[in-house]
Amino acid sequence: MNDYLKLLKILCDAKVRFVVIGGAAASAQGSTYATYDLDICYDRGRDNVERLAKALEPFHTRLRGVPDDLPFCFDAVTIARGMNFTLTTDVGDIDLFGELTGIGGYKEARALSVTLVVFGFQCAVLSLDGLVQSKRATARPKDLLVLPEIEALREMETRVKRQSGAAEGRNQVRVEDKESTT
Amino acid sequence: MTKVQRDELIRLITSPPAGSKIAAAKDFGVDLTLLVRTLELTPTERLQNLAAAQALFRELRAAKKTPTHE
Repeated sequence: MNDYLKLLKILCDAKVRFVVIGGAAASAQGSTYATYDLDICYDRGRDNVERLAKALEPFHTRLRGVPDDLPFCFDAVTIARGMNFTLTTDVGDIDLFGELTGIGGYKEARALSVTLVVFGFQCAVLSLDGLVQSKRATARPKDLLVLPEIEALREMETRVKRQSGAAEGRNQVRVEDKESTT
Repeated sequence: MTKVQRDELIRLITSPPAGSKIAAAKDFGVDLTLLVRTLELTPTERLQNLAAAQALFRELRAAKKTPTHE
């Protein structure tokens, strides 16, 4: 089972710069679709790549879906030479993305993220806008399948914010009216 | 979530505005009532639910299939 708490704790404790993307980002913002791994977009800066490698290395991090005897060394050099990795660890499956289709790298993903408190950690999570942008660009059937739900969530969020803002405004008017009559 | 926000969500899923993404999602088959349920939770609770669902799916997949006798 994916232990999101542990995976996020490992990354946050090591001060890795990353944005939660994909299904977990959608889930954290209300999506009902299930996902089985944690996808992150990581900063490709050398210091960050080293932190990321050091953070995950103790958890028997290896490539997912390849023969066990395939030689693979998970370290900063490997990450720097590659870009995107599908990995499995003792605490769950994690996919690392140096670049995200339709978005770009970490900097662009970060600019499109929201900060959510998850398990007590302040995590950058790709916003609903970012998810729509990414899934539209990727446009695989599985991405297009979840798009109507994410777009609905985004619209619900916008309309509810607008409505509660208007309600607050009405309350203010009422208070002001009351004050002016007393 | 405040009562005002919840009431607005219920109103939106009960009568989605014509031409909206909410209406499109409903037509697509998205269960909008589930979205209200998840929106009432914190991000942590949503990920906890996801992990619990993953565990259930794994159990179901691993369950031994036995023929049902009438």
